[in-house]
Amino acid sequence: MSRLILFHRLILRPLLAQPSRALLTLVAVALGVAVVIAIDLAGFAAAGSFRSSMESLSGKAQWEIVGTGGIPEATLGKLATLPENASFEPRMEEFVTDEASGATATLIGLDLVANPRRSTVTKDSGSIDQLDDLRAAYVTPAFGRKVGDLLPVIVQDRQETLKVAGIFQLDSDTSSQDRLIVVDIPVAQELTGRVGRLDRIEVSVPSFSQASDAGAALAEQELLRVIEGELPAGTQVRPFGARTDANRRMLEAFRWNLRVLSGVALVVGAFLIYNTISVSVVRRRGEIGVLRALGVTRAGAQAIFLLEAATFGAIGGFIGSWLGYGMAHVAVQLLAATVSSLYVTSSPGEVLLSSGYLLVGVLLGCAVATVAALAPAREAGSIAPVEAMARGGRDYAVRVHTGRSAIWACLLLIVGAGLCYLPPIQGTPVFGYVATLLLILGTALLAPAVLTLAHRLTEKRVQHVLGVEALLAARNIFGSLRRSTVLVAALATAVAMMASVGIMVGSFRQTVLVWMDNQIQADLYIRAAAPAEPGVNPPIDPEVAARIRTLPMVAEIDRLRTYPLMLHGKPTTFSYADAAVMERRGRVSFLPGQNRESILEQMARGAYVVVSEPFSQKHGVSVGSRMELPLPDGDFPVTVIGVFNDYASERGTIYGDERVFAKHFTRENITGIAVYLKDGVDIEEGRLAVQQATANRRVMISTNRSLRESAIRIFDQTFAITWALEGVAIFVAVLGMAGALLAMVMDRRRELSMLRFLGASQRQIQGLLYWEAALLGMLSNLLGLALGLALSLVLIYVINRQSFGWTFQFHWPGSLLLAAISLIYVCTLAAAWFPARAATRLNPIEVIHEE
Amino acid sequence: MSTLRMHSVTKLYRSQEADVPALREFSGEFQPGEFVALVGRSGCGKTTLLNLAGAMDFPTTGEVWIAGQHTSKLDDVGLTQLRRTQVGFIFQFFQLLPTLSVVENVELPLLLSGAAKARERALAQLDWVEMLPYAHRMTHQLSGGQMQRVAIARALVHRPQLLLADEPIGNLDTTTGNLVLQLLRRAADEQGATVLMATHSQESTAHVDTVIHLRDGQVEGISRPVCPA
Repeated sequence: MSRLILFHRLILRPLLAQPSRALLTLVAVALGVAVVIAIDLAGFAAAGSFRSSMESLSGKAQWEIVGTGGIPEATLGKLATLPENASFEPRMEEFVTDEASGATATLIGLDLVANPRRSTVTKDSGSIDQLDDLRAAYVTPAFGRKVGDLLPVIVQDRQETLKVAGIFQLDSDTSSQDRLIVVDIPVAQELTGRVGRLDRIEVSVPSFSQASDAGAALAEQELLRVIEGELPAGTQVRPFGARTDANRRMLEAFRWNLRVLSGVALVVGAFLIYNTISVSVVRRRGEIGVLRALGVTRAGAQAIFLLEAATFGAIGGFIGSWLGYGMAHVAVQLLAATVSSLYVTSSPGEVLLSSGYLLVGVLLGCAVATVAALAPAREAGSIAPVEAMARGGRDYAVRVHTGRSAIWACLLLIVGAGLCYLPPIQGTPVFGYVATLLLILGTALLAPAVLTLAHRLTEKRVQHVLGVEALLAARNIFGSLRRSTVLVAALATAVAMMASVGIMVGSFRQTVLVWMDNQIQADLYIRAAAPAEPGVNPPIDPEVAARIRTLPMVAEIDRLRTYPLMLHGKPTTFSYADAAVMERRGRVSFLPGQNRESILEQMARGAYVVVSEPFSQKHGVSVGSRMELPLPDGDFPVTVIGVFNDYASERGTIYGDERVFAKHFTRENITGIAVYLKDGVDIEEGRLAVQQATANRRVMISTNRSLRESAIRIFDQTFAITWALEGVAIFVAVLGMAGALLAMVMDRRRELSMLRFLGASQRQIQGLLYWEAALLGMLSNLLGLALGLALSLVLIYVINRQSFGWTFQFHWPGSLLLAAISLIYVCTLAAAWFPARAATRLNPIEVIHEE
Repeated sequence: MSTLRMHSVTKLYRSQEADVPALREFSGEFQPGEFVALVGRSGCGKTTLLNLAGAMDFPTTGEVWIAGQHTSKLDDVGLTQLRRTQVGFIFQFFQLLPTLSVVENVELPLLLSGAAKARERALAQLDWVEMLPYAHRMTHQLSGGQMQRVAIARALVHRPQLLLADEPIGNLDTTTGNLVLQLLRRAADEQGATVLMATHSQESTAHVDTVIHLRDGQVEGISRPVCPA
């Protein structure tokens, strides 16, 4: 009980005595925690649902049989006759559009006669007689249909009408918003144009799912060998869910990047906690002396401040978790769009704040706050009672070891720079993240030296150039060096992250614009209207391409045939087109040092391919590398003769020439048609002609310009969440500025009051505060820009390259940075408004005669 | 014309229970060059009187004129202007700004008022208090007596007509205190300033022209000691 009383009297009461400062610190911690929680919740919701749609109605299979371009249906028959105790379930998958709502739906083809999970789908409608209907479909309630309704959907480049044979509910794992359409295998084959082929065969072996001893493993190997013996060329057995797992790993890297970015606000919040507790230690110095004299131990004095920080952390963490929950609802929409375009077609799941997350939020707040408070708390413990109670104690300034800090700063910066040269760990740029953290810490430690240098360079000129208020402000900043450096470090970190992300995104955007200039050369682009899987559009009927080619205003067309495939356990895309058209029309640009013309010429002459830069990074191949492509008719050895720039897909692309590769594929999977109009033909006229020629198909026709615009719109949308994160970090830092200036007003109220006695007007007192904010803001911005430049290099050349495999040209988005820095500067100045107002409300007589 | 005139000045501090009178019906007129000591125990109203005299506070009733200006009729800008030009303050705990050097502390009032030749005048004033060799030191490098001399230089640098000193030797030993009192005497004699000093030390009254004894916010008596010099 006595501990509670002490907690209230020594910790809570002093906090409540300064509600505005306590509130500012709480808001800073809460926002820091909120951003982290929001990003994680939103990331989980955005990524989580894809598992449910593609894996829905899968059994507990151990393996799956897959093949580039599908598996011949006859394979299933061969496998079914094997005397082994294994079951083989065929499966078809396709993303379609629900015509009524425009929403993406997953079409799944199952063997509804033999599949053991048939009852999940058909139980409500009982009989399987309806399977005789070639358009019978079982759908989830999200469609809002009832049995017997017609269901128009867009499949690839056609509209098809299905008939609802039953409504089924999925298990609790899946979102109620998931739109699933289940049809019998033959219906799916007919709808997708893949008659006679299967997308996957799931292999279940009941006895292996329980056994784990060596004997079972041997039997498993034997069974695998038997199955592989029955498979045709170009097909393979792999662990079940390998593609999903690979997708998930890529998605996880993306989420890690966001997590690191979201942590910036928390780091800035930690700086502010450090500042708050430092101020508290200085202000309560006399009180600590009294407590020590009354018998409080050194550890007890430390505990007071650690508990103060932990209180901020716990309350801030709790509020932050709920705030994050609210923010996640907005973030999930932004994230889902990115996840769908880069990783997997999905609709966002529900955002859920479990008690576990709430606990994580509170613990996160507590941990960050307590760690941030360690140094000032240790200092509180080291105060000797006599020294603390002596007069003049309030003038005590915390010593700052500028030289020692600078040496540590240099060490951290050097180590940070060194880490940038280390490779990623399992595709995650761990050393890049650590380097980022070290650079931030190094810069924070460098801040005292920078402030001291700035002070020495300007001390003789400040008053003459800027006036007495600026002189007093500059002296105050230098006079309380530790507090000032923490503040500068916090704001500089936020500015740096904003600047670095600005430079990174600006460079990326500029590179993509230049790349699009090379890449998007055709006048018109055509793709099927159904939803695309990342990297692979749905196919267009070859007859459509032939019809467009015959239009009189068309000079030539380029048909892109794309097939998803798994290589080295990673999902990638194989495409082939006419290399001669590529050469003529300048579609592909290669990395520096590679001759475009000779590469494209060579492509048609044999088993040669070119690969995209992300592919080269992820698979560790370069010019001259040899690899085996799993084509439908078997593994095909190829040589890489070029690496080209590509920003359309993170998973990587392999290009070959149609003369070499068309014969390996039984089905021409045209996923895009580029149309080059004859000279002088108006693009709009051309578009109308193509539209008429494809009137019976559901295709999307984009002009060169509209495709570029939509690409850059998607690009900007992808980075919207990044900007939002930076905005929060800046906001937290500006709050910190307000809090620190308010603390300054409280701590220096005697001096401010004295100035009133000496004839300072209220305007001059306010001016002093504004100057302090202005000078701190200026130093923070300069330091932040320098750090931001360094971080942008890490982001561009280390983190981004190791995460996604993209290289982009460094571009300095001057106007954007100038606008952002100006906005931050205005916010910093605005942060001084409340403290300045508080300063003019001081009663000089009361303050001076407190002595 | 008198430097300071106070007429029937009363100051009440309002508390939850009742109004507490800090000063009651005080009247007085102080001339240039006059050195006045306000003597009494803690809480007798000395500091309240100095605050009213320095235009830092307003009387509940009564009127205060400083250099002919009625303080109750001035707004904040006017009062600030009055303090900048006509009033100097000295405190028991010196109240020097620790972030400024000695000369920067002294020139501060001139900089705040935008006066010309601030540095030159500050150095001259430091010379007057015999602190010129310490001009570029930081204040924490000075002794208590030295700090108070700097505070006196700061209070006089803008040539105020009225110098208000609140327990200026309360934090100093006797020898140093006497040096400070001599400086205040010189300020009255050489610069013609009216010096009002609050003190509870009877010994310090030896240097003054007039002693006003206060008790419970009222004048208990006025005496004119004979200067030992």
